[in-house]
Amino acid sequence: MRLKLFCLLILFFPVAALANLVELKVRPGIQASADYRAGARGKPAVLLLHGFLQTREFRTVATLANSLHDAGYTVLVPTLSLNIPNRMQSLSCEAIHRHSMNEDIIEIARWVDWLKSRGHQHIVLFGHSYGSLQLLAYLEGKPDAAVEAYIGTSLIETRIATLSRPALITQLREQVQHKQTRLVTQSVSLCPQYAAPPADLLSYAVWDQPRTLAAVKNAPVRMQLIMGDADKILGHGWLQALQHIQTPMIIVPGANHFMDAEHEFDLFEHTLGFLQTLPTTP
Amino acid sequence: MMKSPGSIPIKQAALAFIVGVLVLVSLIGGFALHEMRNVSHNLMQSNQKAARAELADAIERLSGQIKNQAATLGRWDETRQQLVIPEYYNYWRDQRVYESGMLSRFARVALYDQSGNKLRAGGTSNALPARLPFHVAPHLHTSWLSNEAGVITLYYAFPVYSDERRLALLGHGLIRLNYMAELLNQNSFRYTDTASIKLNLKPGALLSAPELLPNLSLSARSDPEQLRFQAILSRALLALLILLAATALLGFMAHHRLLVRPLRQLSQDIDAMKQGRFEPNPEHAEPMRISELENIHRSLLDYQLQLRELHGSLEHQNREFRSQARHDVLTGCYNRRAYEEDWSRFREEIKAVPQGVAFLLFDCDRFKSINDTYGHAKGDRVLTLIADALVTALRANDRLYRLGGDEFAAILLRTTPAQARQIAQRCQSLLDAKRFSELDINEPISVSIGIAFCAADQVEHIDELPKQADIAMYTAKLPGRNRVALYGDDVERASQTLVASRETSAVFQALATPGMIEMHYQSIRSLPGLEVKYYEALARIRYHDTLILPAAFLPVVSSRRLETGFDLAVLQQVDLDLSSKQLPAGVGICINLTAQSVSQPEIVSYLLELSRHNTRHPLMIEIAETSLITQVTEASTYLDLLRTSQYRIAMDDFGTGHSPLRYLVDLPVDVIKFDLSLISRLEANDRAAQVVTDFARMMISAGYSLTAEGVETETALRKVESLGFAHVQGFLLDHPRPLAELVASLNAVSEPS
Repeated sequence: MRLKLFCLLILFFPVAALANLVELKVRPGIQASADYRAGARGKPAVLLLHGFLQTREFRTVATLANSLHDAGYTVLVPTLSLNIPNRMQSLSCEAIHRHSMNEDIIEIARWVDWLKSRGHQHIVLFGHSYGSLQLLAYLEGKPDAAVEAYIGTSLIETRIATLSRPALITQLREQVQHKQTRLVTQSVSLCPQYAAPPADLLSYAVWDQPRTLAAVKNAPVRMQLIMGDADKILGHGWLQALQHIQTPMIIVPGANHFMDAEHEFDLFEHTLGFLQTLPTTP
Repeated sequence: MMKSPGSIPIKQAALAFIVGVLVLVSLIGGFALHEMRNVSHNLMQSNQKAARAELADAIERLSGQIKNQAATLGRWDETRQQLVIPEYYNYWRDQRVYESGMLSRFARVALYDQSGNKLRAGGTSNALPARLPFHVAPHLHTSWLSNEAGVITLYYAFPVYSDERRLALLGHGLIRLNYMAELLNQNSFRYTDTASIKLNLKPGALLSAPELLPNLSLSARSDPEQLRFQAILSRALLALLILLAATALLGFMAHHRLLVRPLRQLSQDIDAMKQGRFEPNPEHAEPMRISELENIHRSLLDYQLQLRELHGSLEHQNREFRSQARHDVLTGCYNRRAYEEDWSRFREEIKAVPQGVAFLLFDCDRFKSINDTYGHAKGDRVLTLIADALVTALRANDRLYRLGGDEFAAILLRTTPAQARQIAQRCQSLLDAKRFSELDINEPISVSIGIAFCAADQVEHIDELPKQADIAMYTAKLPGRNRVALYGDDVERASQTLVASRETSAVFQALATPGMIEMHYQSIRSLPGLEVKYYEALARIRYHDTLILPAAFLPVVSSRRLETGFDLAVLQQVDLDLSSKQLPAGVGICINLTAQSVSQPEIVSYLLELSRHNTRHPLMIEIAETSLITQVTEASTYLDLLRTSQYRIAMDDFGTGHSPLRYLVDLPVDVIKFDLSLISRLEANDRAAQVVTDFARMMISAGYSLTAEGVETETALRKVESLGFAHVQGFLLDHPRPLAELVASLNAVSEPS
């Protein structure tokens, strides 16, 4: 009996000891971190992913994580490394973006694995803004079977401003093909001067609205989108497009892209409502 | 201009004051400059300290800034990324760190791996060392300075960890910057002269950052505010000096114009006043700008005008006073003072310029009697008319002087004795023409004129002229004279007059010395029979063994107003003679008295005392008809009194006086003594003899007892006897003789009998 208790303690200790910060070497020389707080065992663990170039400290995800944990859910809020060791700060738009969508997907998968390694067999992915897209990209591949559901908030595609996306993609592909590594500066999403190697930029640029809609439509898990009808960052007609593919989607009246202020509660209630619809494990 | 010793002109005083003020201001300015330099020196020292403190602050601030930059850079995600994925290291090093604001443009940065080798990602190098210096500790911030070709360069090495917990060291960062440029660029120095900041560091040598400040040399920047203040103060002092100099110059000019010139003008005016050259002309006088000075000037002018007016008035009054002092108030002619002054001056002039001079002396005959009879008012009027007549008679340039009383004098220059006599006669003529009857004066008014002349060649005798004129005047007064006498015309008369003049002294001496008056007695005999009834006591003065007769001394007595005194002396002598009882008893004594004496109480008293001799010698008083009786009432009263004392009253010298009939009417006269001038007429067979004869008869018929005086011939004796004269007297019968001689004569006559 004593031995069982000791083994349980040993098993549970890492989770308890690293209840707030966990680190994960995602690739050589690159270590990522996440905020992990364990919840009730019968409830699924929720992995919450921040938006474009942000960290887990971003208010929308941080607040929701706190609320979900308070509601008894295990939450893991990683900060994507973006190929920066122990990235702690939001990455500047003008920084050298040596990261790609594939590396982001790999990093998400690593965190899913990490949850599974912590005994969480029911995982719900929650993304905010571009994090929703990155999670969709993860789901487009071969997601882990433990991932049971997906909640996308303020889902947005990779937005390219100046050139037409096909021309840019063609240009980038040629550069990649010719192994050109010179940094390309392009307006990407909210960054007007986004500098990145062609391959890395290409990995994001291909995620336009159609691909995103396709990823949504073809998502292999239960899905719930929570959008704000006052979100000015979204592209024109994006909500209608999402509605057109009949995606389960909640539109929060008056909510903007960041679901802040009183809409934090709307986000939490809708998220919690979705989570409560999931089957619990004994 | 008179200057008092030690006094200076106001101009010099003003100059001294202004120079003093300028010197004082200059001293104050110099003191202010000295103090300003002290303050500047203190400020410089303070600035030096402040500069060093300021530089220390700047160094500390820059060090802190670099330290912060290094810390920030060390914690920066992108820095860590370059140590892991240095593919775009050059881009990050040369562009990203500056775009992100992590490093200033003056700084350069390099990253070193854990081995201390600088990251090399191709491209250019930025001149930072390829390896981290050996003295850089792996986990410490290290900084040092080096002199690289004269450029003070700071190196700051800092560690870069893989996470904030510093669990794994990724490498190092090294910041290189031009320290002085950065120091000067990032700090604005107020006190430090940035060009003067020097670091004493040899090329190639290293210096740890803490040793930086002690090795820095610097100079304080001149405080612009202080320099500005000094410049302002200097300019202000210079401007003040210029302003003061200009003000002093203007002040001096204004002072000169407003004060000096007016004061000098006032001083010159005052000096001119003192010298009597000042000509005040208020209308043309330049007005003075200073009201007080103008008031003084105006007051001075007014004062000078008033003074001049006062001076003129005083001169006028002086002339008036001098004129009054030299003029006789009553007659308007010159007075005795003017006479004495003029005579003194004339004498000097004549001695200097010899010329013929005549001295005329005028004396009103019997003026005392006129004055006493008609009163002083009419007497004064008589003198005025006499003076008018004399002035009219004199030549235009001749002056008439009133010497006193009724005595006048005139000095005739450049004249001859004939001209002087002619002028004197003209005076007599004009006087005779004067109508004194308008003054109700019936008696004739005449003056006696004595003339003395001094020829041009005898000016040494000019001082004797007044005396000679006096002698001549008394000569002219003698009875029978024509009232004008020229001294020297008649030596005998002149000598007599000289005696008479000499006897003036005798008269006074006789009055003072009892016994000098001796009485001579002349018999008065009855008609017919020629029996001696009276002896007339006749006064003589024995003076230096010379017997002076009444004709000589009586004018002196009369002119000197000595009648009373003289009569008292006579009565005393008669009293003595009678008291000696040498005269035969029963023979009366006739005593001559002046008319003035009979109204004098002391005379009357003495007569009453003398009346004790009446029992032995009947006494009779003879009053000369030639002398006026002014107080007729009193005289009549006294004469009545004397008559009660058995005195008989006789009118002496009847026929020569002024108012015989009036005296006969008013006075209690018993005896009338006909004068020699009337008795001598009886010897002729003419109308005058007839008048005298008829007059004598009328007197006799009126009850008067007549006595004939001056009977010198038998014819005259018979005539008066025939006319009924009661008594006779004269040289025909005997001459007046002294008492002793008379007594001896009487004794001689009686002894033979």
